[in-house]
Amino acid sequence: MIRPSINTFILLFALISLPTSAASNPTTHEFSLDNGLKVIVREDHRAPIVVSQLWYKVGSSYEVPGSTGLAHALEHMMFKGSSKLGPGESSRILRELGANENAFTSDDYTAYYQVLARDRLEVALEMEADRLASLTLPEDEFLREIEVIKEERRMRTDDRPSGLAYERFKALAYPASSYHIPTIGWMHDLERMTIEDLRQWHNDWYAPNNAVLVIVGDVQLDEIKTLVKRHFAAIPARQIPVAKTPIELAEPGERRLTLHLKTQLPSLMLGFNVPSLKTAENQKDIHALRLISALLDGGDSARLTSQLERKQELVAGASAWYDAFSRGDSLFVLSATPNVQKGVSLESVEQALWQQLKDLQTNPPTQAELKRVRAQVIAAEVYAQDSINNQARMIGMLETAGLSWRLLESDVDSLNAITATDIQSAAQRYFTASRSITLHSLPEETRP
Amino acid sequence: MMQRLISFSLLLVIGLSISGCSLSTTQPQDSKITSLQRLNVDAPARRILDIQTWQTASGTTVFFVQSDELPMLDLQLTFAAGSSQEGAAYGLAQLTNFLIGAGTNKYNADQIAQAFEALGAEFNQGSYRDMAILSLRTLSTAELSQPAVELFAEVITRPNFPVQAIQRVQNQLLASFEQQKKIPSHIANRALFAQLYGTHPYAHPSAGTEQTIPRLKRQQLADFYQTYYNAHNAQLALVGNLTRQDAEAIAEQISRALPQGVAASKTPQPQTPKATHLHIEFPSNQTHILLAQLGIERGHPDYAALFIANQILGGSGFGSRLMEEVREKRGLTYGIYSSFSPMQAQGPFTISVQTRAELSEATLGFVRELLSEYVQNGPTEAELATAKQEFLGSFPLSAASNAAIVGQLGAIGFYDLPLNWLETLMQDVQQLTLEQLNTALRNHIQPDALVVVTVGPSVPQLPLPEPVIRNAQPQGHQH
Repeated sequence: MIRPSINTFILLFALISLPTSAASNPTTHEFSLDNGLKVIVREDHRAPIVVSQLWYKVGSSYEVPGSTGLAHALEHMMFKGSSKLGPGESSRILRELGANENAFTSDDYTAYYQVLARDRLEVALEMEADRLASLTLPEDEFLREIEVIKEERRMRTDDRPSGLAYERFKALAYPASSYHIPTIGWMHDLERMTIEDLRQWHNDWYAPNNAVLVIVGDVQLDEIKTLVKRHFAAIPARQIPVAKTPIELAEPGERRLTLHLKTQLPSLMLGFNVPSLKTAENQKDIHALRLISALLDGGDSARLTSQLERKQELVAGASAWYDAFSRGDSLFVLSATPNVQKGVSLESVEQALWQQLKDLQTNPPTQAELKRVRAQVIAAEVYAQDSINNQARMIGMLETAGLSWRLLESDVDSLNAITATDIQSAAQRYFTASRSITLHSLPEETRP
Repeated sequence: MMQRLISFSLLLVIGLSISGCSLSTTQPQDSKITSLQRLNVDAPARRILDIQTWQTASGTTVFFVQSDELPMLDLQLTFAAGSSQEGAAYGLAQLTNFLIGAGTNKYNADQIAQAFEALGAEFNQGSYRDMAILSLRTLSTAELSQPAVELFAEVITRPNFPVQAIQRVQNQLLASFEQQKKIPSHIANRALFAQLYGTHPYAHPSAGTEQTIPRLKRQQLADFYQTYYNAHNAQLALVGNLTRQDAEAIAEQISRALPQGVAASKTPQPQTPKATHLHIEFPSNQTHILLAQLGIERGHPDYAALFIANQILGGSGFGSRLMEEVREKRGLTYGIYSSFSPMQAQGPFTISVQTRAELSEATLGFVRELLSEYVQNGPTEAELATAKQEFLGSFPLSAASNAAIVGQLGAIGFYDLPLNWLETLMQDVQQLTLEQLNTALRNHIQPDALVVVTVGPSVPQLPLPEPVIRNAQPQGHQH
C-alpha cells in the first residue's frame, strides 16, 4: 500500500480552524416548590414533544449488605399501583397516549421517565405525583415481580460472562464504599427480600425533597410551574435519612482476581481507585482524567485502538472509561481482549496496558493530539443536544450526584483549561499499583 | 445501569397532517387520573418535515430535510450491498463495509481517523442483510464541514483495502465468533435464521462464519465494492443546518466520485419452511425461546393490519397481551416481544422470550396457546381502538431528532417508499376494522407451522404458575 507523505497531510489540515466552542447554551430554568421538589426545565422547541424525568436521590449505593437490590426492586414495584392507579394501569394509560415510558436504577439514583406529545405532559406528571405520594405495594404483585427480577439477573449477570465479571470486579474494587453492591442485588438477597422491606424503602427515600424533576422539550416555564404545583405541591416534605458519601480508601493496595467463566476467550480488566468531580480536592485532576480517557479511547485515532489494536495487533479490542460524575469516589477502568489469533497472552496485554499508562506518566501528549481530543469533546456536546432524552439524563445525573446542571455550561472551558502537564501529573498520581485492581477472566475449561 | 425494560424503537413515522380523532372510545371511564378528562381530544401536533428529493447527474437519489436549530449536519449513504448480495462468500459484504475507512491511496487508517477527529467529525459504517451504510456527522460551520465532507468523499470513493488491515479485521471477527459460541441469545438467533430461510441468502449470518471469513481475499473485497458501491445503487440522505444549494453541491460531489454501475437485483422470495422445533443444549440458567415464521416484505398491502395486530399481541412492551400474561401475571420472564421485520424479501415474524430452564416447556406451551387463541379469535374492539390511539399519539415522537429523521429518509430511499407513505399508513391504520385484522392474521400466521428454536439445559420441568389476580379497584393507601 502506498503511504502518503506526512507533509502533504499536515498541509491539508493545518489551514483549517478547529472547533473552539460549543453551540450556544440552551435556555434552562430552575425552581423549587416549598416542599423541596427541585424542578429543572430546558426548552427545546424543535418538535412538539417533551420528556419528563423524575430522579430520586437513592440507588444501590444507599443499600446495606443483606438488603441489596432494594432500590431496583422498588423501581419495578412503582408500576404496580397507587391511590389513583391499579397495577399496570399507568403503563396502559401511557401506552394509549402514544408515550414511551420506562425507568432506570443505578448506584446513585432511581429515575422514571415519559416521552410524549407536549399536550399530554400533565397526565404523566399526575401519575408520577400519585406514586410518589401513595404507592400501593401489593404483596401478591411483589411475589410475581421478584421472579421477574430474578429472571433479569439471570439474563444480565448469571448467564452473561461479561456482566458477571464486572459485578465481581466492582465488589473487589470498592473495599470500603457501598459501590461494591451490585444494583440488581445478590441472588440470595433477592430470595429473602420482603414487601415490608420495600414499604420501608419507599417510606424512607421517596419524598419531594429527595427528588429532582427534569423536563426537556417544547414547553414554557409558566405552564410547567402551573402543572407541577397542581400535582406535587400538596405532597409534604419528609425527613430523609442521612446519606453519607461513598468514600473509598485512596490506596487500598494491589488486588488481583482470577475468574473461570463460561467464556471462550480470556479477557482483562485493570482499574484504579480515583476520586470523582464531587469528591476531588483538585477538580483539575478530574478533567485531566476525563481527557486521558479520551486520549486512550475517544475514537478510532485514540491510543488503544491505533497502538494496541492496529499497530501492535496485541488486542482484538480494548477500551477505557471513567465516570467523573458519581456522588462518591470512582474508578478509572481499562479492559482488553487479547489477539489470540496471533497467540498473544493475557500477561502481555496487561503489560501493554501498563506501558500505555507509563507513557502518559513519562511523556506529555503533543499539542496536536490534545487539540484533536478537545475538538471531539466540543463536537460531542453539540451532538448530544440532538436528543432531548440525553439532555435530560445528563442534567439528572449531575443533580443526583450532588453537582449542578450548570456545570454543563462551563464544561468546555473546564476541559480547555487542562494542560499537557496536568495530564501527566494526574497519570502519575493515580495510575499506581497500590490503587490498582486486575481481573483475569478465563474460560472454564482452563481451570486448573 | 439497570433498566426495567429495553425501550422499543420508535416507529418510523413522518409528521403529516391527519385530522382530529376522539380519545373517548377506550379511555378508562372510571380512571381517577383527573387530567385525562382535560386532555385535548385532537390528534397531537407534529413537526412537519419538508422532504425534498432529486437525482444527481450520476444517478444517486437524494433525500434532504433542512433543520437549522443545531449547528450540525448528518449525511448517510445507503447501498443495496448487504449480505444477501454476497453469494456463498459469507461475510464479504460486511468485511468490505468495515474496510472502507482503513485506507485510500492518499491516506492510511491512522491519518483518516486523526483527520476526522481533529474536525470533531464522526465517520460510521454499518452492514446488514439488505443494505450497507456509510455515514458522516459533522459540525456545520463551513470551515469544518467542507474538509469533513471532502475527506468522507475521498475515504468512501477511493478505498484501497490494505491486506494487513483485512487480516487484522479477519482475526477480530474470528475472535468475536469464539465469544458468540457462549452467548445463548446469539446461538438461538443464528439457528433460527438457518431454520427459517434454508438456502435463501437471508439464512447465513451477515458477519460470515469461521469457515468463510479466513478465505476471503483482497480482490473479492475490491470487486464487491466496485460492483455494489456505485452511484446508481445508492441513496443519499442529508439532514441538518445547510441550504438546498449546499445539499445539491455535496450530493454531486459524492455521487460523481462513486464508481459507475447499475442498481443491484432484488433479493428473491424465500420458500416457506416446515414446522420444526430445534433444541440446542447449553449450560445456562435460562432457556432462550424463539418462535418464528416468514412474515412480509416491505410495501406489502397487509402491512398496516399486521403492524397493528402485532402491537396488540406483543409489539410494544407493557400492555401487550404477551407481556401482560407471561411477565406481569406469571413472572416468567423479564421481557417477551413479538415483531414483524419487513425486509426487501419476506422478513421474519418472531416471538422471543427467555425464562428459567425448569419452566421452559410450560412457557413455550403457554406462548403457543396465546398465539393460537389470538389468531383464532382476533383482538377485541377495545384493543383495536387503543392501538389506533397509541399509533396516533406516538406520531410526534418520531421526527424529534436529526438522527431519527435521517433514519427515516434512509428507509424511504432504500425501500423505494413514497414520500407520503407514513401519511398513508396513518390513514390506513385509523380505518382498520377487526375483520381486516382477523383476515390478515389468519393469512399470515399459522400457529401449527411455527419454526421453534430453544437454547438451554435439559432439566426436570415445573408446571405453569397461577396468574396473579388483579382487583378492578386499586387499593391505595398512604405510607
